[in-house]
Amino acid sequence: MAFACLFVSDFPVQAVVRLEPELRGKPVAILSGAAPLTKVFAVNQEARVLGVEAGMTKVQVESLKGITWKWRSASQEATAHAALLDCAWTISPRVEDGERREKQGFSDTVVLDLSGCEKLFGSTDKITHDLKRVAAEVGFAVNVAVAGNPQAAVCAAHGFAGVTVIPTGEEGFRIGKLPLEALRVPVEFIETLRRWGIHTCAEFSALPEVAVVERLGQEGLHWWRLAQGRGHHSLIARDFPTTFEEHMDLDSPVELLEPLLFVLNRLLEQLCSRLRMHILSIGEIKVTLALEPRDSRSKEPVLHIRTLRLPVPGLDSKLFLKLLQLDLEAHPPSLPVVSVRILTIPARARSRQLGLFLPLSPDPERLEVTLAKIQNTVGENRVGAPVLLDTHGPNSFRQNRFVLAEMQDKRGKGEKRATAAMRIYRPPLPATVEFKEGAPTFLDCEGARRQILAFAGPWKRKGDWWSETPWAREEWDVTVRALRPKVQAENAYRSENEMALYRVYKDLRAKRWFVEGIYD
Amino acid sequence: MKYVELHTASAFSFLEGASRPEDLVSRAKELEMPAIALVDRDGVYGAPRFHMAAKTVGIRAHVGAEISVEGFGSRSKLPDWMPNSSSLRPVRLTLLVESRLGYRNLCRLITRYKLREQEKGTGTATLEEIAEHAEGLVCLTGGEEGVLAASLSNHGYDEARKNVERLISLFGRKNVYVELQRHCDSEEERRTQAAVRLAETLSLPLLATNGVRYATAAERELLDVFTCIRNHAKLETAGRLLERNDERLLRSGEEMRQLFWDLPEAIHNTGEVSSRLKYTLAELGYEFPRYPVAEGETMDSFLRKRTEEGFQNRYGGKQEELFERARKQVQRELALIEKLKLAGYFLIVWDIIRFCREQKILVQGRGSAANSAVCYSLGITAVDPVGMELLFERFLSEERGEWPDIDLDLPSGDQREKAIQYVYQRYGQLGAAMTANVITYRDRSAAREVGKALGFDQETLDQLASVVDSGEWRGPSDNFENHFQQVGFDLNHPRIRKYWELCERIQDLPRHLGQHSGGMVVCQGQLDAVVPLEPATMPGRVVVQWDKDDCADMGIVKVDLLGLGMMAVLEECLELIPRHYNTPVDLAQLPPDDLPVYKTLRKADTVGMFQVESRAQMASLPRNAPKKFYDLVVQVAIIRPGPIVGKMMHPYMRRRQGKESVRYAHPSLEPILKRTLGVPLFQEQLLRMAMVAANFTGGEAEDLRRAMGFKRSEERMKKIEAKLRSGMTQNGFRSETQDEIITQISSFARYGFPESHAASFALIAYASAYLKEYYLAAFTAALLNNQPMGFYSPAVLIQDARLHGLRVRPIDVLQSEWNCTIEHATKDGKDVPSLRIGFRYVRGMRQAAAEKIVSERQKRPFEGIEDVTRRVPEVQKAELVTLSEIGALNPLGKEMHRRSALWQVERAARPGGPLLDTIPEQLELSPLKQMTDEERLVADFHGAGLSTGPHPMSYCREALSKQQVKRASDLAGLPDGQYTRVAGCVIARQRPGTAKGFVFLSLEDETGISNIIVNPDLYEKYRKVINGEKFLRVEGVLQNQDNVISIKASRVLPVAIRSVETESHDFH
Repeated sequence: MAFACLFVSDFPVQAVVRLEPELRGKPVAILSGAAPLTKVFAVNQEARVLGVEAGMTKVQVESLKGITWKWRSASQEATAHAALLDCAWTISPRVEDGERREKQGFSDTVVLDLSGCEKLFGSTDKITHDLKRVAAEVGFAVNVAVAGNPQAAVCAAHGFAGVTVIPTGEEGFRIGKLPLEALRVPVEFIETLRRWGIHTCAEFSALPEVAVVERLGQEGLHWWRLAQGRGHHSLIARDFPTTFEEHMDLDSPVELLEPLLFVLNRLLEQLCSRLRMHILSIGEIKVTLALEPRDSRSKEPVLHIRTLRLPVPGLDSKLFLKLLQLDLEAHPPSLPVVSVRILTIPARARSRQLGLFLPLSPDPERLEVTLAKIQNTVGENRVGAPVLLDTHGPNSFRQNRFVLAEMQDKRGKGEKRATAAMRIYRPPLPATVEFKEGAPTFLDCEGARRQILAFAGPWKRKGDWWSETPWAREEWDVTVRALRPKVQAENAYRSENEMALYRVYKDLRAKRWFVEGIYD
Repeated sequence: MKYVELHTASAFSFLEGASRPEDLVSRAKELEMPAIALVDRDGVYGAPRFHMAAKTVGIRAHVGAEISVEGFGSRSKLPDWMPNSSSLRPVRLTLLVESRLGYRNLCRLITRYKLREQEKGTGTATLEEIAEHAEGLVCLTGGEEGVLAASLSNHGYDEARKNVERLISLFGRKNVYVELQRHCDSEEERRTQAAVRLAETLSLPLLATNGVRYATAAERELLDVFTCIRNHAKLETAGRLLERNDERLLRSGEEMRQLFWDLPEAIHNTGEVSSRLKYTLAELGYEFPRYPVAEGETMDSFLRKRTEEGFQNRYGGKQEELFERARKQVQRELALIEKLKLAGYFLIVWDIIRFCREQKILVQGRGSAANSAVCYSLGITAVDPVGMELLFERFLSEERGEWPDIDLDLPSGDQREKAIQYVYQRYGQLGAAMTANVITYRDRSAAREVGKALGFDQETLDQLASVVDSGEWRGPSDNFENHFQQVGFDLNHPRIRKYWELCERIQDLPRHLGQHSGGMVVCQGQLDAVVPLEPATMPGRVVVQWDKDDCADMGIVKVDLLGLGMMAVLEECLELIPRHYNTPVDLAQLPPDDLPVYKTLRKADTVGMFQVESRAQMASLPRNAPKKFYDLVVQVAIIRPGPIVGKMMHPYMRRRQGKESVRYAHPSLEPILKRTLGVPLFQEQLLRMAMVAANFTGGEAEDLRRAMGFKRSEERMKKIEAKLRSGMTQNGFRSETQDEIITQISSFARYGFPESHAASFALIAYASAYLKEYYLAAFTAALLNNQPMGFYSPAVLIQDARLHGLRVRPIDVLQSEWNCTIEHATKDGKDVPSLRIGFRYVRGMRQAAAEKIVSERQKRPFEGIEDVTRRVPEVQKAELVTLSEIGALNPLGKEMHRRSALWQVERAARPGGPLLDTIPEQLELSPLKQMTDEERLVADFHGAGLSTGPHPMSYCREALSKQQVKRASDLAGLPDGQYTRVAGCVIARQRPGTAKGFVFLSLEDETGISNIIVNPDLYEKYRKVINGEKFLRVEGVLQNQDNVISIKASRVLPVAIRSVETESHDFH
């Protein structure tokens, strides 16, 4: 029995660099946290040499020259980990996810069972070098270690750089040279062992077994066995993926198609390499472009989704790129692109069964396509589910992506409904309001000048003063002779002299007036 | 009729208002309002400041409060499905005080429900309580927090009408006003229209207010931040909890008239209500309690008798001349006390002293009370004011018309609590209370809480808090701007800039109410009719809603029962010395001018001694060279900001050393300043100077001191200065002399000590020096048992005691008790006491567990670690681990070392169950290696914060010697001006407010302490090393001036010693 482990050091950096090979060998630091709380999340060795450490603030390190700054992307890390799994699957069908690091939200390790693989792929040495090479193809510099049990392989991959093959029976000796940290022992154990004057695995493993159990319990025994290079963990193999995905966050929004194609090409190449490892072809490509939202307060990205179903499955990245180019030329994104995600579905039919007790509802993927089609028809930003925002601010709702679960009515029983409804003009109509002795007298809007016959107000609102986008407005409800038919309420015939109640407001920062809506 | 704002909440609504009462008053004055009412939430916390500020600017301050009440439903809240939908909060009634009876009712009402509350700020008044206390109060229907708004929003018009009718039945028709507010909010306006209709239906008058929560619109931002702090929310996500706009400011009458153009009567009525509200805090109705005396006796006659008894005792054996002078003084004082009707006050303090004596609690009066011969005779103070020619007027004067101030020092801890509980018991729960301490936002708390509201993460806030100095010296670099840069904040970022700006603005605004350390107020009758009372966090304590300055401003007398660590030390010494040295000690009978004690003081060998142990004291002791008690009085007083800022310290020292001749600014000042060589050092001298030079009366002089005191008023100071100058001109003082005297007076009136106070402290200082000199083991044990106190950490105290020859023994499970104890050994036939460190120094050890160990040990000695765990199951594993680490379990076995103890503890603490209990340990010996010296040192400091082994520096002495680094004891032999290197553990970092940014470091090595001076530029350069490193190497020029040795640093480096967790006491 032999097990191999692939470990990617400085994983968040490598997850970025693998898609931007020009950064290889250069000092790179990954930032996380929204400004102004931006901090260094991870660095590579080259950056470490220059004195950058995780946890520093951006301001502390930005004086250091020659460092490339990149933003942390959880999606990129997730796809990178998927790619790492793919590398392992090239050798063995039995592949296990490495442990997810606490608080960091990523896993930088995979373990694979090499039983019987020698017959297919040659000696262990060859396999380890193959693994390293395959990993390099998807952009990773990995440590590879082989040992007689999965835990020893993981410890060795973390503790020794490059390729390490530990002959069966020598695990204890080799692992013994490593410090306790290589075992990834919990902190409380490390503290106890430190108190005992124990710093290496060998020192730990030299303690008598019974004495260890008496003092550290079964968990201690587990770590003690690990320190001896022994492990009894059975591999929990991962299922093969049904889709393959690559994701890239762009440094700055891209408006033109050409640079976007450059990014798409990189992602497609990666996907093709990964599918090739599984000896699969691409049957369908779904490109999701996240666009820069118009409204900076909106936290939900605007998505531009294009789906290509290929008549003949293939692995020709150049062809796919061309198809995508044509499609995007016909359906260009309306706003600059901030991130790109490509999901590919292999050509083989999907075998996963939908839930037995699921209610009859549209197939989610079909629904997605349908929504995309509706969006193409009614226009960008006009499909979704509205969700109220907790703010005094204007337009205080957000448009969430439409999902079935959100169709439920969440309002509690007995809750009052608004007594008056207002139809909002989107966008609001620019207007001018004339005042006399503090009272509004005339409203000018879209070429019509109306005398204000009655009014209520002003209602003042002011907020977000701590942010970069503070706002302040003064609202009035005014009764005037109805404005032009196009701004009247639907289905309502109004004669020339019919009165209507409008909400007008002044954006106090821009010092401009608008008609916001009409009361029903 | 002018508009009067009748609904104003200040920052004393604690996180529900954003302006100080003073700022609201001054804004009201600017807006030409004739009066203004303060109605804070559930209290009258800000009322004294509001009243005083209004008095100064000449407007009327109405009193009131918003009272949380049950029975009227809850305030409307956001729907449950919305984020930040807060829990239900009770509605609040806005009550305004019309008469003195009304004020009494308001205070009692608040006290009633406050004392009932389980959790701070959750109390509510019941309708019955309101009915009981409604007289003399005017009720407004309130703004959004009020009854009307809640009823209208939650249940509609009919319910609102019902509730307002209930208010009418509670307060009477003519005392209920329908309050209208307009903050440019449509929903509110709907309520307002309904309220107008309701008022019409019920024939109630309308009243316009602006529901003010801040003085100016800009402060709305602070209110939003407060809202976030209160709700533990972030600005970003607080949503509708925040203010809708910034309209809750104090508005002018004109603006209000425009807002209520359609309801002019609502504006008009404000003036009418204001004229109805006759009551102000000027008629508080406070009366000091009367001391119960026997029939046929008056308090005055009783006081006279008690004074006479004490007088005979104190002065009976003294010289005739002194006796006569004292008699005259006592008579004079008694006459004044009678005239001012203060006998009750003196008797009450005397009663507390009597209680303490009976309970064998060490007690000593200090402060200006020590100027009084009556206090001395009554045993309140221990300094003879007649013998020392102290000025009585500093304590009490006819003109001042205020209560005298008596501070009592008690041993900190349980003994002091006993005295406090005695006062409660004597005057009843509603007759005595502690004064409050208003906790305000300071640099660090501001940075933390504002940062949290702005959404900064905990780690960043911790970093920022670590660089913010919260001390008195604020150098040019000690501002938020610099601190922000130090933690890597980009000040150009708008969010960071806002953070910085808010931190500055929030400073000094009240955060919450704490409890003053010792101030107690008592009242004849019921204190709750004078000021509302609240339960303090500490069980059994009640606290008033005002702090001690507010109480003083309102003429409420207070007695300070202060806990003094050194009193506890002295008290413990009095118990230890007879037991271990077979010598009785009486602090009142210590030899007055003991030569060895003064010799030690002159050497500045004063670690652990009261008041004279600080770095600055040590630096001045060799210069002052005290030889008698009065020198010590001067010594205690001279290292104060007053004499230092007033540039009096150096002239005094030069004159003391004979380097400068004694001269007086004017010959008439000679009798006053003779004792202090022509340099004024005490507040009494300042008063006398004003009396002699400018013909001030005693009372006027004391007024002058107060004018220069903490609450300085420019105008008042100018008036007094003019008076001083005119007096001095009359008496023929030249203008330069006048300038000199005025500088002296103004600089230390604020920070100087009264001579009487210095004398009281000097008594304690002398006692501590004497006990340290002759009973080192007892003194050190007592010091260690009463930590934290003083200037140095326990590790430094132990090191100092060892340097003085005391043997200090480590913590030992077979010998130690909870406290540090004294053991005895015989050397050369002589009994040699040594000190055993107690379990109290084992980090994380609980007293109950330690005491159980001791009691089990007394039954039968422990046989091993397993025996300990079996017989004392109360001891937790973590405690055993620490005991093993510091070697306290080593005596439990042959060849036991710290790691073998750890090895056994781990097994013993994880019992295998009854089945396996009988199976013996397989290994006889532990497989673990012994700790190295360095590991032992690290373990000692980690587990106990101190070591009885070699000093950390001794381990690297050899290497340091090679680098020409000197030991602390070598410095005395080096010439002045020599470039020198020293290294040591940083035991104190000081950046006093008077030192213009200079930093003083004390480095300790195995031979003693070396003193380092770091100039501000160098400090900026090495700030991180100086503040962050535990061991430093300093290079610089040695200064040896008058045997005061220090090194002027020119380079500071860290010394690489393993992670020994030593502790420095930092005073910024």
